[in-house]
Amino acid sequence: MMTDIRIDVAVIGAGPAGVAAGIGAREAGAEHVVVFERDWDLGGILQQCIHPGFGLHTFKEELTGPEYMHRWIERAHGAGVTFRTNTMVFRMEEDGSFWTMNPDEGIQHVHAGAVVLGMGCRERPLGAIRVPGSRPAGIYTAGTAQRFVNMEGYMPGNRVVVLGSGDIGLIMARRMMWEGASVEGVFEIMSWPGGLRRNIAQCLDDYDIPFHLDHTVTQVHGKDRLEGVTVAKVDANKKPILGTERFVACDTLLLAVGLIPENELSRMAGVQIHPVTGGPVVNQCLQTTRENVFAAGNVVIVYDLVDWVSAEGYKAGKNAALFALDGLPKATRRFDVRGGENVRLFSPQWLSDQEDATIFLRVTKPVEQRCRVTADHGLFSKTLRYARPGEMNEVHIKAEQLRMLPPDVREIIVDVEEE
Amino acid sequence: MGAVEVIQRLFDVIIIGAGIVGAALARELSAYAMRVAVLDKAAEIPSGASRANSAMIHAGYDDKPGTQKARFCPSGNRRFHELQGSLDFTLRECGSYVCAFEEDEIRHLDVLLDQGRRNGVPGMEIISGDTLRDREPHASREIRAALWAPSGAIVNNFEAVVAFMDNAQQNGVELFLETQATGLLCSEEKQEVFGVETTKGRFLAPVVINAAGVHAGEISRMAGEESVRIRPTRGEYFITDKTVGHLVKGFFFACPSTKGKGITVASTAEHNLLIGPTSTPQTDLEDTSTTMKGLEEVLDGARKLVPDIPPGAAITSFAGVRANTLSGDFNIAVLRKPRGFVNVAGIKSPGFTSAPAIALHVVEMLREELSDRVIMTPNPRFVPERTHIPRFAELSMEEREALVRRDPRFAQIVCRCETVTEAQVVEAIRRGARTVAAVKIWTRAGAGRCQGGFCGPRVADILARELGIPLEEVTRHGGHSRLLVGRTKEYWFRGNE
Amino acid sequence: MTERETKKFICVSCPVGCMLTVHMEEGRIVKVEGNACMRGEAYAEAEVRNPTRVFASTVKVSGGLLPVVPVRSRSAVPKEKLFDIAREVARVVVEAPVKIGQVVLVDVCGTGVDIVASRSLEAEEKRAG
Repeated sequence: MMTDIRIDVAVIGAGPAGVAAGIGAREAGAEHVVVFERDWDLGGILQQCIHPGFGLHTFKEELTGPEYMHRWIERAHGAGVTFRTNTMVFRMEEDGSFWTMNPDEGIQHVHAGAVVLGMGCRERPLGAIRVPGSRPAGIYTAGTAQRFVNMEGYMPGNRVVVLGSGDIGLIMARRMMWEGASVEGVFEIMSWPGGLRRNIAQCLDDYDIPFHLDHTVTQVHGKDRLEGVTVAKVDANKKPILGTERFVACDTLLLAVGLIPENELSRMAGVQIHPVTGGPVVNQCLQTTRENVFAAGNVVIVYDLVDWVSAEGYKAGKNAALFALDGLPKATRRFDVRGGENVRLFSPQWLSDQEDATIFLRVTKPVEQRCRVTADHGLFSKTLRYARPGEMNEVHIKAEQLRMLPPDVREIIVDVEEE
Repeated sequence: MGAVEVIQRLFDVIIIGAGIVGAALARELSAYAMRVAVLDKAAEIPSGASRANSAMIHAGYDDKPGTQKARFCPSGNRRFHELQGSLDFTLRECGSYVCAFEEDEIRHLDVLLDQGRRNGVPGMEIISGDTLRDREPHASREIRAALWAPSGAIVNNFEAVVAFMDNAQQNGVELFLETQATGLLCSEEKQEVFGVETTKGRFLAPVVINAAGVHAGEISRMAGEESVRIRPTRGEYFITDKTVGHLVKGFFFACPSTKGKGITVASTAEHNLLIGPTSTPQTDLEDTSTTMKGLEEVLDGARKLVPDIPPGAAITSFAGVRANTLSGDFNIAVLRKPRGFVNVAGIKSPGFTSAPAIALHVVEMLREELSDRVIMTPNPRFVPERTHIPRFAELSMEEREALVRRDPRFAQIVCRCETVTEAQVVEAIRRGARTVAAVKIWTRAGAGRCQGGFCGPRVADILARELGIPLEEVTRHGGHSRLLVGRTKEYWFRGNE
Repeated sequence: MTERETKKFICVSCPVGCMLTVHMEEGRIVKVEGNACMRGEAYAEAEVRNPTRVFASTVKVSGGLLPVVPVRSRSAVPKEKLFDIAREVARVVVEAPVKIGQVVLVDVCGTGVDIVASRSLEAEEKRAG
């Protein structure tokens, strides 16, 4: 006989979003708040992010991933959040209830007044970017390699090529080097780096690791173990330019070619998924299209700084608790958010008049000069020295401003414009 | 040089190759009281074309009546359906459509219909493009007519091969992996065969069956038989995410040409889309690399049939090498010389489908033509059924709960994309899986949308633990395909700068 | 004859990441270009005189729930010592349980900076599973 569990607020995932959500729910008055985590320990992906650079906004210090999560987890324990580790949520129903499995408790059916989704994201694999070649050992996504190095204590290889210059690729280039591997180069298909310039400086320039923009891997070589890759320059349409191919000998290819929000459970629950972000459609309260299901963190949109993930997680937890306690103010207005010419990726996708809103967005093309991030109807304007896809920008709108908008306003456009 | 110990093992029948043909044959022979050895050079099975194919159980209208293919394909199809229950592999009735866009293609459908009827294929009919689109809303508007064959089915080809071999092993057949045939042991003048020389020693038997797939030509030449001429032909495929698996229900074919059956689109038994293959002749027997051109051809061909396939939906791609022959037909024969040697060669599309029927035929050939070398006494302890490892992902909650009670490792998820548990991985290893690829073949761990990004380290840990080997010895697919090169910190002790 | 040198590097004082061009004569900075603010000049000075970095890696653990534990230098260390520090850190084996902030190497390579554990790790027997 399977057990039915009833709790006030359930949180799926004990990464930065989920841990903060647990705290937010407890501090908003929910009694029984449980955070479910499939790993045996808490912290999510930050467990393996052992480099400093986290928490500058939250703690005014640069902490390592585990140090950052330690503080949040301590706070969660203090706030009375319950954690269930080694517990995988493998199925979610349309009513928001879900099924867990755990070696000690077996299978359980959890019913919660409200659920916060905090499952984070996964890495795009080689097959999804269609690099031809055979399938030798030695090809890893950067995060999988990071897990082997930082948690299992094993080296994936000795001679590394990195495809993609997102921060995880840059960080792993340096990490592999510090364990004795040689890094033959980092290749980025776009004309600008994916990660922070500070990481270009401290992960690549510091070690003279070659960095090539407008390049991609066009073939992998090796039957049993990787023997090398062919790299080539790409044209404006990102197609390889014939004649620019060259062979780079290596035994390891690390892929940092994109993060994809992990929404299998969300889809099962019938939550509407946005085609551009790949995450649930949410408003500023982080409520999805299923009223008892909230979502925060990388499962909604891939963030650049963990500080925002924690802040959003806290907010989602708070609102989930309010909903469960029947105290979430009702929305009376709805505004669809649209992106301007240079903005495709943003969250939330619609605003209500329930509370203040922060819209996180990423420009599609970098603007390396003074520009302005705006929300129309005079709602927000801020000058920026630059705008880059690798660093999110924010639009802040107060609830009063939204309430005061004329009744015929249904849309808010956010954009980044050159000055 | 000192004396070298030669390892010798004695059997009644040796089968070279553990693809679908070798496995089906092993299973049929295990019904007889005889010692059977199956040799394969790979670290896990299936490894060759049986691993990388369209997963289709063909109806059998494609083949010219009178050929071996026409003979064995429809009967192989029936045999797959018959054995699905007892051997517990996943088979999904989906039917197939050959799609015609132009006038000459529409006429060709009649040829196929006629061929199929003569080959004994049941239930075929030619339907209009509109009828097709009623059944399959995502079929291209440009398709004007289609040949519908309800007996076409999609199979989990990995499960099918391991199912046949697993049952064979349960009934006493021995499987030797990473064992490559290097020569045939024959009497003088190659009058008789008495065994196989391999990288792992000698295997002796009065009957040797060549089911070596793309290498069948090499093996046959060891017997002095030149008639097996393999023309390796590579086929490239894509697998898409399950979110688009619903785009088709039946198996879609473009109208076949001289090059082959054309690009196909099918929804696999696990609800991914499998699209492909191309058809590229090559000289290398083992080159299974995909190419930019090939993958583009696959995508273009697939979108011609089903325009709604998004280009970004691929999660992985792979290639297989067909054992094409010059004659274009199977080469199944008991050789006169050396006596005891049997060729089961050139088994390419519809090879997989035909394999169980070919297996029964070869058993009869042994009975009728080699009775002086092997005695076909029924095995009184033959058990025709076997069950696969529980497919946790497909079970009901109650069934899952029951498993978890029995073994808490069923509550420990290893692969979250495909919902594969630790208990399944452990059982796969118990049944012979020794590599990451083998675990994927048995359980589907690593076959999902993250392609092993999450479960890779976990599967490796379990393999190391269960096999009692250090983590750095775990391989992806045997040979030199180690996942890891060593531990961290070792570099600093090597005296390197 | 004046020794002239030009160095180029990204300033990491803030996320803008200005590309600085630093003109030097006889080992002293004479001009900094490319900086959008005063912090760029200060960073250039520090980076040329005494570049420092925070070191982060792992150390081996015996008897812990994981075989390695992440560590970091408590504060930035001279860049030129990073290599020696990595070698020193590679020799360390720490016994579980480990407490976050625990010193695993005091005054590493004479820098005056300790290497500390970046997470807590329990000993193996405690694992309830």
